[in-house]
Amino acid sequence: MQNLSNVNEAVLTLNKVCKNFGGVVAAKDISLDLFPGEVFGLIGPNGAGKTTLINLITGIYKVDGGSIVLNGHDITKSPAHSRAKKGITRTFQHPHLLQRCDIETNIYLGVDLAKKNNELKSLDHEKLLDELLEVAGLKLNMRDGIDKLAYGQQKLLEVVRAILTRPSVLLLDEPAAGLNQKEMEHIVALIDIAIKMNSAVLLIEHRMDLVMSICDRITVLNFGNQIANGVPAEIQDNPVVIEAYLGRKRGA
Amino acid sequence: MKNLKKKNLIILFLVVLGLALLINLPLRSTTYMVRVFNMTMITYLAVLSLYVVFGMAGQSSFAQCGLMGIGAYITANMSTKWGFAPIVGMLASMLGTALFAFIIGFALFRLKRFYFSFSTIALMTILNGIFANWVKGTGGSMGMGNLVQFSVGGYVFNTEIKYFYLITSFSIVATIIIWKLFRSPLGRSFMAVRDNETAASCMGINNLLTKNIAFAISGLLCGLSGSLFAFLSGYISATSFALPQSQLYLVVIMIGGSSSPIGALIGSILINLLPEWLRFLKDYMMLIYGIGIMGLMVVLPEGIVGGGKDLYAKFIKRKRSRVDA
Repeated sequence: MQNLSNVNEAVLTLNKVCKNFGGVVAAKDISLDLFPGEVFGLIGPNGAGKTTLINLITGIYKVDGGSIVLNGHDITKSPAHSRAKKGITRTFQHPHLLQRCDIETNIYLGVDLAKKNNELKSLDHEKLLDELLEVAGLKLNMRDGIDKLAYGQQKLLEVVRAILTRPSVLLLDEPAAGLNQKEMEHIVALIDIAIKMNSAVLLIEHRMDLVMSICDRITVLNFGNQIANGVPAEIQDNPVVIEAYLGRKRGA
Repeated sequence: MKNLKKKNLIILFLVVLGLALLINLPLRSTTYMVRVFNMTMITYLAVLSLYVVFGMAGQSSFAQCGLMGIGAYITANMSTKWGFAPIVGMLASMLGTALFAFIIGFALFRLKRFYFSFSTIALMTILNGIFANWVKGTGGSMGMGNLVQFSVGGYVFNTEIKYFYLITSFSIVATIIIWKLFRSPLGRSFMAVRDNETAASCMGINNLLTKNIAFAISGLLCGLSGSLFAFLSGYISATSFALPQSQLYLVVIMIGGSSSPIGALIGSILINLLPEWLRFLKDYMMLIYGIGIMGLMVVLPEGIVGGGKDLYAKFIKRKRSRVDA
């Protein structure tokens, strides 16, 4: 995957992105490139600014400084809905499904978004939906309410909905948190489909086994700073990262 | 598959039965009761507009009766004063009201939830003030009388029964269109905005524009409702388009249930026919009526349709799944 991404142009580029909340620095000069078909890991302790970064990319927060470029277009000032139409789709740490709607309405929001894009309009969305539900291991009655689903199923459903939009950038905010082993395997299989679709996947995750096994590259955040970049093997051995995660060794 | 066919047959049967009843209803009722039915359907169209903007898009508007008023006054001016064909007046009412709602929506929807509701109360009050004082456009407090009857190609709707068929046909068409909206991308975007604005915008939905479109569609229905009201009653004045009426429409949809057009219909029927049925209570009517509404809201917070769905899920579906197992 790595070789391929070097050849291609970056689909999403963050250039020295900054965000402060009062005195708290949530993101400081973050720069990164996302390439089509790669999984990019974003890790760091709680409060490191990972979710903030996703909120900045999707446009829920406005950046204080720096720029965000998607497919060569500067989207720094675009509102969230127009970024979504241009191909940025996300999931939330706690699923943001429509609680008063049935499963069908929730899922077809994803298809609706894909159909707003002229290039994707004519593709077979029903076939993709069937494939995704199969891979996600979801056997659903489409007319059931969302409250009929278990937490894990809701998270899987949100990932299914996100991939249905055929995103060029897919942002996953802790997709595996709170899931059992079986459900986590479904998430990995879903991410595989996104990669085959040539999406760039940005993954926030605390489960290191998952991050290290599927990510091509990783960035580590701590207190809004980018403290390390590299392939999984480099990150695992990086003393700065170990310190941020585990604390300094006593006496060292 | 077999199940589906059976279901379609049942629906077909119900539709035929319903149509037969509807056609017969005015023929077997007194003129007065037909008038009550007509007013019920006009109320229904206004409440259906609330189903779109409140039930689907989640914005509780107190201005629906004001929008109705705009529709009624456009019809009165176009058809009676300026002599356009009634159908032209009606179309102008629908489009004009929709346009008004769409434009004013850009200001109102800057506010969210309760603040939006309060601003619609203000809008309603302003509109009512204009209706009552703009002598040239609305006849001021005297209102506008001697309005022309609705007619199409020389056929004049001059009896209550003819109006019953006219209004009911419009209501059925409106209901079918709004029903289709539920499973359409536009309908889904309404419900997304209602349930979770953050998720909606991340799914490519422009929240402000979507609310505006919902408000405009509700304006379209209110314009139709107001126009029909002007043709039917032949006289309109500011007292017909006031805040209490708007509040009543919200109560109606909450009683009926805001989750489907059927809720709007059941609520409208109850609110218009109950006073007729409870007439024997005389002075105590409003008391019983008020307590009844409160009781209903306690027992069925999701309205009659919501309560009905819960009962269906509890008893019939459970029974079925047992049989399956």
